Amino acid sequence: MEPLKIVGNREIRVDGMAKVTGKAIYPQDIFLENALYGYTVRSTKVHAKIEVDIKKAEEIEGVVKILTHKDVTGMNAHGVLFKDQEVFCSQKVRRIGDPIAFVIAKSQKVAKEASKMVEIKYTELPAVFDPVEAMKEDAPIIHDTTNIRYYYKCRKGNVEEAFKKCDVIVEREYKTSMVEHAFLQTESGVSYVDKEGVINVCAATQYPHFDQLEVAEGLGVNKEQVRIINPAVGGAFGGREDITLQIHLALGAYLLKKPIRMTYSREESFYAHAKRHPIVMKYKTGADKNGKLIAMEATLIGDTGAYASWAINVMRKAGVHATGPYEIQNVAIDSYSVYTNNPYCGAMRGFGATQVPVASEQQMDIIAEKLGISPIEIRLRNCFKVGSKTATGQLLNESVPLKKCIEEVQNKLF
Amino acid sequence: MKKRGKGIGATFYGTGYGNGFPDVSKAVVEIDKDGKVSIYSCATEVGQGAKTIMMQIAGEVLGLGVNDINFISEDTSLTQDSGTAAASRQTYNTGNAIKLAAESMKNKLLNLAKDYLKLNATLGLEMEDHKIYLKMEPEKCVYFNQLVEKENIKVSESFTAQSTQMDEETGQGSPYWPYTFNCYGVEVEVDTETGIVEVIKGVCAQDVGRAINPELVEGQIDGGFAMGLGYAIMEDLNCVNGKIHNNKFSKYLIPTALDMIDLQKIIVEDPESTAPFGAKGIGEPVMTAVTPAILNAVYDAIGVRFYEIPITPDKVLKAINDSLREGE
Amino acid sequence: MFRINFTINNKGYTVDVDEALRLVDLLRDKFQLTGTKEGCAEGECGACTVIMDGRTVQSCLVMAFQADGSNITTIEGLEREDGLHPIQRAFLDAGAVQCGFCTPGMVLSSKALLDKNSNPSREEIREGLSGNLCRCTGYNKIVDAVALASKYLKEEESDGASENSRK
Repeated sequence: MEPLKIVGNREIRVDGMAKVTGKAIYPQDIFLENALYGYTVRSTKVHAKIEVDIKKAEEIEGVVKILTHKDVTGMNAHGVLFKDQEVFCSQKVRRIGDPIAFVIAKSQKVAKEASKMVEIKYTELPAVFDPVEAMKEDAPIIHDTTNIRYYYKCRKGNVEEAFKKCDVIVEREYKTSMVEHAFLQTESGVSYVDKEGVINVCAATQYPHFDQLEVAEGLGVNKEQVRIINPAVGGAFGGREDITLQIHLALGAYLLKKPIRMTYSREESFYAHAKRHPIVMKYKTGADKNGKLIAMEATLIGDTGAYASWAINVMRKAGVHATGPYEIQNVAIDSYSVYTNNPYCGAMRGFGATQVPVASEQQMDIIAEKLGISPIEIRLRNCFKVGSKTATGQLLNESVPLKKCIEEVQNKLF
Repeated sequence: MKKRGKGIGATFYGTGYGNGFPDVSKAVVEIDKDGKVSIYSCATEVGQGAKTIMMQIAGEVLGLGVNDINFISEDTSLTQDSGTAAASRQTYNTGNAIKLAAESMKNKLLNLAKDYLKLNATLGLEMEDHKIYLKMEPEKCVYFNQLVEKENIKVSESFTAQSTQMDEETGQGSPYWPYTFNCYGVEVEVDTETGIVEVIKGVCAQDVGRAINPELVEGQIDGGFAMGLGYAIMEDLNCVNGKIHNNKFSKYLIPTALDMIDLQKIIVEDPESTAPFGAKGIGEPVMTAVTPAILNAVYDAIGVRFYEIPITPDKVLKAINDSLREGE
Repeated sequence: MFRINFTINNKGYTVDVDEALRLVDLLRDKFQLTGTKEGCAEGECGACTVIMDGRTVQSCLVMAFQADGSNITTIEGLEREDGLHPIQRAFLDAGAVQCGFCTPGMVLSSKALLDKNSNPSREEIREGLSGNLCRCTGYNKIVDAVALASKYLKEEESDGASENSRK
């Protein structure tokens, strides 16, 4: 193979110059002439039927328009997999922070003041916050039917028989927490209709073309009538995959034919985008006396909160990665994503594969200790190599330098 | 008392949307009458370094530097869909699409150069710094702009990753590709009087297939480590009955410069044949091994195992006291 | 309304400001100095850091009228006619930038630190940057950048000194 010229080099990043000089443009750095300001009215209740009255708020001087579900010109729904989130809640709210209305005013101050005058009558419904509780038949239903949004099942070998042959079996339950991306740039954007009639939305996103589709659906226009401009993005980590302010901004500009801008406060940002799924993980792992893993059983229950977002893919990825990077002949994994009235969960760096090692890697150490072998040794005895098959039966036919990674740590840490 | 312990975590991560869902990236390479090269592909720069990586891949093929190419990636009206900047898929997926498009452009230019220079074949032609020349006779040379006649030269390519849908009853199938591997180890110091866990050493051995840009890989490892550290010992939304009580930075604590340590970062290369120049995605894998390594190290230090995260000082202290009581 | 006189990036200004206006809004909205970022509005993240009379302040916590009589440096004031400030150069060279949203604040905190302590240890650098949050880099390459900037600044000083001695 010819030597490479610039692949492999420590090239200085091409976007670096703009960023060190402060010239990089993030959405909040865009000022349009005569832009109106948007502010989102959000639910303060976890689960409730709602009635919305915007009359008083509309009368406030400087308020230009207040959007509710009645103003949505297209589909009042969005979502990366299931369209289970409403642009504006119509009948009920399912979590604190659900968007109910969007105040468009001549200034940020007026928009914010007027938002307090939007009257929302809540009729509270029973709520559920524990995903294990939410799986039960008598639990409050958050969407249409069951709260179990997704179930992934993996079966390999015969777990029951295999456990009988184990010299050591470790059974434990683990729980991870709901956490936040905490990217430094809060959600912000501007929207306007250009002279060709195209609705422009300028906001930081991970996936401009999908936003384009969802905005078009929300407005009921062709995809070509929507243009997403994605300027500098101030971090994402999975937190900019779902729609937040894009449809609100687009709808406002589309209806009013005026530019609109807005920026979420940090507090609002915490509620506006998805969180990392907390997962309850029940593990049973068995090995022979040499430390060779023989069987593993895991039940994973992921709390996706009020909406699905990427729950299916997250809990699938959690399930597929539940064994850790080890050869195990007998595996049974059941992975669920469950609706609750918590903040909704979706993509975050690692996407299910970050949660399961909290369990699987501690299981490895517990087994090693019981057998009197080192954490390094048990991993070396079981780790994937070229030719290994995963729990899903997938052949790892090349580029599996895991043993090398473990040995590097062994040499440098111990 | 301060007690020290060491722990490791080994993990793997499968790239892409997965489970047979079409995972497609598209790229267009264009050369205008001035010989300027532009690449259109909607791979979002979220800070991970996508723009630089894509330009290194294209530059390698076309004999150009990263700043010689105009990269357009921010506008749906100018670019085709290259999927989301997630699932650690941009380097692998869009990197492959850009490499294919650049190779296709190179092929086209070499043929044009062959005709322009009246050669028998493209063999022995070299491409460098916006020009094409014959290695055995460097005076036989033509610049990109001389090859562009009336219209800009444009090529378009697309790349689709391979994965299969898993069986519904058994979960058997090939849901992701490629997989990235790692092992991270840490040493911690636990203050048994305050419950504070301090990470004092970190060794990160990260498979990357091939590092397109080691500086950026290291930056990802540092950042992923910090996020894993926060996940293990600090970050707590305090979400009770659906309400987030810690929804600002004075309450939701993420690592600061003082919480982080210098890491020993070991880039392990084992090129993947289906990846652009062998490079696998690493944006997410850099986080997955950190938290379990810390939990295992804390156990090694104080003999208490934690089954729930984050292990904030109050929880560590309580667990230490509970274990003492049990011992009595 | 308050009438204030102050200097931004070596230029004097007189402006009337509302008493509720924060310095960050004055810089961003009135002067379009958008290199100053806002990340939390409570002085926790440091993205809005500017240098005021030689000390770093969180411009989200300073009222505009409090800037009366002061001398303010923002990221836009760092660049020189002949190019980047050595600290900016060092941030690029050390790979200290990812999403870039914390970068202006980080660069200014680094400047305030290096103005006081031209040869800081890694621990002192971490201390000096502890008021600036970054979610991308894990800080290590930023620490590298400040150490590198310290070197660049010293080289510049010794180059300047030798040039002067030649004169």
